[in-house]
Formats: sequence, structure tokens, C-alpha cells
Amino acid sequence: MADRRYETLVLIHPEQGETGCKELAARIQALIEEQGGTVSQVQDWGQRELAYLVSKQRRAFYVLFEYRVTPQALQEVERNLTLMDPVLRFVSVRQAENAPPAPPRHTRRPDREDAEGGEDAGDEGDVGMLDEREMS
Amino acid sequence: MARERTGGSRPPRRRGMGRRKVCRFCADKTLLIDYKDSRTLGTFLTERGKIIPARITGTCGRHQRRLTVAVKHARTVALLPYTSVYP
Repeated sequence: MADRRYETLVLIHPEQGETGCKELAARIQALIEEQGGTVSQVQDWGQRELAYLVSKQRRAFYVLFEYRVTPQALQEVERNLTLMDPVLRFVSVRQAENAPPAPPRHTRRPDREDAEGGEDAGDEGDVGMLDEREMS
Repeated sequence: MARERTGGSRPPRRRGMGRRKVCRFCADKTLLIDYKDSRTLGTFLTERGKIIPARITGTCGRHQRRLTVAVKHARTVALLPYTSVYP
């Protein structure tokens, strides 16, 4: 059975706290490995503001997993993720075999600035909440 | 039906002035479409959070399709909003 490269971004309930989040991440990693997968990277993004409320929460912990599993095993992993209560949401995406591994957060694309003159000046990450915009 | 009045040999003319838009992802091959990169994706959204049509941004069809998928992935994990008007 050919395994494939996937990555899953998991949103963890803020109630879990730093330690709870770490534990859960370890549990998820174990889960993937249990299914015969090999985890190549686990990235902890820490707590981030959500673009909209999820389960009445404004923030959540983000953890990214990069791994290889068979498609059947992925199904099982996803099923188990939906059963974990502190997991608010997740998204699994298949990665191309030759795609570079996810660069660490916030150091992504340092070459951008000089590549194009001051395009997205909208600094500070999130496009999330553009309030003070009266719309009717 | 009655739109094209002067048929035949009219030179292709673009409305208005201004330079032709090029697809940003074609112009810069190192720029990857990634659902995790909410900042880049955000430049292809309106203030309301809607995806800006390729005809406005100049993105080519191939990249626009990928962009759309990326935005939708980003939305499911709350990296991008579905709307800025709070439900």
C-alpha cells in the first residue's frame, strides 16, 4: 500500500492550555504512528486569534502535523480526530511529494519584501477582523 | 444579438488605459499558494471576505482555481473569515 504525504492542521480548544495542548499533540502523533504513519514534522503555532467564532471561542491553539500514511489510515486518523472533544476543527490536505516542508511560522518567505514593493502593507497577520467598516 | 455592430476587422481594443494585469503566481514562481498563508490569501479577498474574481486581480485560471481551494481550506480552520459581517 502506497503511503502518501499529508498535512493536518488541528485547532485545539483554548481551555486545554499550553500543557494540555502539548499532550494532545503527542496523542495525535501517537495516533498517526499507530496507524502506520511516519510523522515528519509537528509544528506548534501557539494560540491564535480565530477569524470567526468556533464553538464560541475567539482563540485556539493551532498545531500542524506533517506525515505520511496510507489513505485508509488517514480516514481512521480523521475519524479519531473528530472523536476528540478538545479538537475544535481540523483540515487535512494532501501534499505533493516534491513540495517543500512547511517552513516554520513567521519566518515564511523572508524574500518577499524586496520581491515586490510594499504590496501587502496590511501587517499583523490576520485579515480576520476588518471591523469599523459599516456595511449594510 | 445586437451587440456587435461593427463586425469584421476591428482591432482588439482594451477598455480604458492601464497596464495589463499579470498573474502574480505566474510572475513569481517562488510564490506558492498555501492555505496556511493567510496574509497572501487575504490580498485576494474583499473587505467582506469574498474572493476577488480573477478578472479583477489578473490571476490566471489555473492559479485562481488553486487559490479558491486554498481560501476555502483556510476558512474551515478559521484562518480567514467567511464574512467580516459577524453572524
